Amino acid sequence: MALEKQEKRLVAEKGEHIIARHLIEDDHIKEEKNLVIDGVDVSGRWNTFITTRVDSEFDRAFFQEIKETVVGSRINRCWQCGMCTASCTVTPLYRRFNPRAFIYMMQLGNLKELKKYVDVAWRCVGCYKCSQRCPKQVNPAEMMEALALLIKKYFPEELEGKLKIDEEVKKIYEDMILGHGRLDLAKLHTSSMQKMGKTKDLIGKIERDAIFKMAKDGRAFSILRLGKPHNWGKSKDAIENYLKNVKTIENEAM
Amino acid sequence: MAENILVIGGGPAGMQSATLLADLGVNVSLVERDSYLGGNPKKFKYKFLFPDMQPADNVIGELIRKTETNSNIKIYYSSEVSDFKENGKKFDVTIKSPNGNETKTFDSVIVATGFEHFDPARDAKYSYQLFDDVIDIKDLERMFGEGNVNRPSNGQPPKNVAFILCVGSRDRHVGNQYCSRVCCTVSVKQAIELREHFPDCEVYIFYMDIRTYGFFEDLYWEAMEEHDVQIVKGRVAEITSGPNNTVICKGEDTLLRGPFEIPFDMVVLASGMEGGPQSPEMAKKLGLELDEHGFLKPQNVTLAPFKSNKKGVFLAGACTGPKAISDSITEGGAAAMDAYVYAMKNK
Repeated sequence: MALEKQEKRLVAEKGEHIIARHLIEDDHIKEEKNLVIDGVDVSGRWNTFITTRVDSEFDRAFFQEIKETVVGSRINRCWQCGMCTASCTVTPLYRRFNPRAFIYMMQLGNLKELKKYVDVAWRCVGCYKCSQRCPKQVNPAEMMEALALLIKKYFPEELEGKLKIDEEVKKIYEDMILGHGRLDLAKLHTSSMQKMGKTKDLIGKIERDAIFKMAKDGRAFSILRLGKPHNWGKSKDAIENYLKNVKTIENEAM
Repeated sequence: MAENILVIGGGPAGMQSATLLADLGVNVSLVERDSYLGGNPKKFKYKFLFPDMQPADNVIGELIRKTETNSNIKIYYSSEVSDFKENGKKFDVTIKSPNGNETKTFDSVIVATGFEHFDPARDAKYSYQLFDDVIDIKDLERMFGEGNVNRPSNGQPPKNVAFILCVGSRDRHVGNQYCSRVCCTVSVKQAIELREHFPDCEVYIFYMDIRTYGFFEDLYWEAMEEHDVQIVKGRVAEITSGPNNTVICKGEDTLLRGPFEIPFDMVVLASGMEGGPQSPEMAKKLGLELDEHGFLKPQNVTLAPFKSNKKGVFLAGACTGPKAISDSITEGGAAAMDAYVYAMKNK
């Protein structure tokens, strides 16, 4: 059985023959499956090359780029105490999401390292605990926005597979913001339950009791009266105009 | 008859002691080994002092002028104490000067012999003296004083500069375990000065801890927040030559846990303070105690930091350990008070 398997596999895995292969990251191994140099076949392990892990420059142009954005303007303040990561809601769930480290990589322009975190860099939930506790008012929560924008700019290809926008959810949000000028949590909850196919749970016993209670003490009506932000019509026009322009630019680019 | 008090050392602490005692009417003899007053700040032409960036001349120059013009102070330049004997509660001291030997009786003695900058050449990993572009903070201070901070190797303005902290401090390998207290603040001060002088020059500080204690912290915050000085955690283990006339700093970024080898145009070593050869010399001549770090040992570090183990001999300034100029001046005043009280009591 084992023999059969071996025979089937024609091409060796990248860097397979390296002793203690697990210590070397995939990115650092260069190996061409088919390579012929001067008529000599040096395919596979015959051309394996391990690149150095050593960082050999600090890229301050990158730092300047972030500093010039609104959300990243305080990047020069960070002294790496780790208060943000310690406060973070996401880090306990995703160890690899580390705001402190991301800020440091941004400071030193270490794109090579940042690239490894394309999949988790978007995980910030925007609770702002880090920004509230930061001793130097770096505003790490917004720094994560700067990071997200940057990742979008520098690694569009890597991002493609990692991040898919759910058009349905996007539409719910857009309609909510453009229609009411604010997030409507009740509607958001309803929509998400509907999307998950849990419409029945929306009117369970607990919910029914809550609705009854809220109707009785008047809270239900105050929610309905919340209304829209002052002069919303003008803002709405501006946002719609902006979205239209963005779409035009995108279409032109295509 | 007025008291006679001997002050050994004409740096900030010694000058402060001498001028205060002279103002009280005491006959002060000030022994200075160099041909000028001002100690290390004068010797290495310090230009601006932290934390408020005031010109060094406002402090050191002012003290020198006050000392030189006071008629109660007799200054012995290029001199040393050649003989020291106790005479009851007083002291018979022979001062060896270019004008010959002079023996006097003093009521009390203040030792303010100061410190020496650590010589980075002693720590071979930093390649000091091997590469022209590897300098230390006292060299850079002198360069600022002389108005030329271009690269020593080719006279061009540097494009990126690295500061390396804790050179000759907190390092068992060179025999100094203590923190030299001022090098962090001096480094961030110089980083700011460099950024102001060369706005296009990138400045990095490699650190293990940044110890800008007390209000010196303001300067550290200013360096980062207003001058974009970047701090990188990790001590540099090796300095080698790089391409295009650069020097490469090799180290580990302990926050990212990865090695780096970055080429720089100029590297500034934040060399620390040492007791120098004068501290054991004083200890031997005057019968004082030395501590395990090579500085003179005070009787009680908390209660009487300026009293020595010998009654009537007082200590002031950096001879008892690394100190900022402001601390040395404070201690000069404190030691002067104690020396005066001792002299009055034993009149």
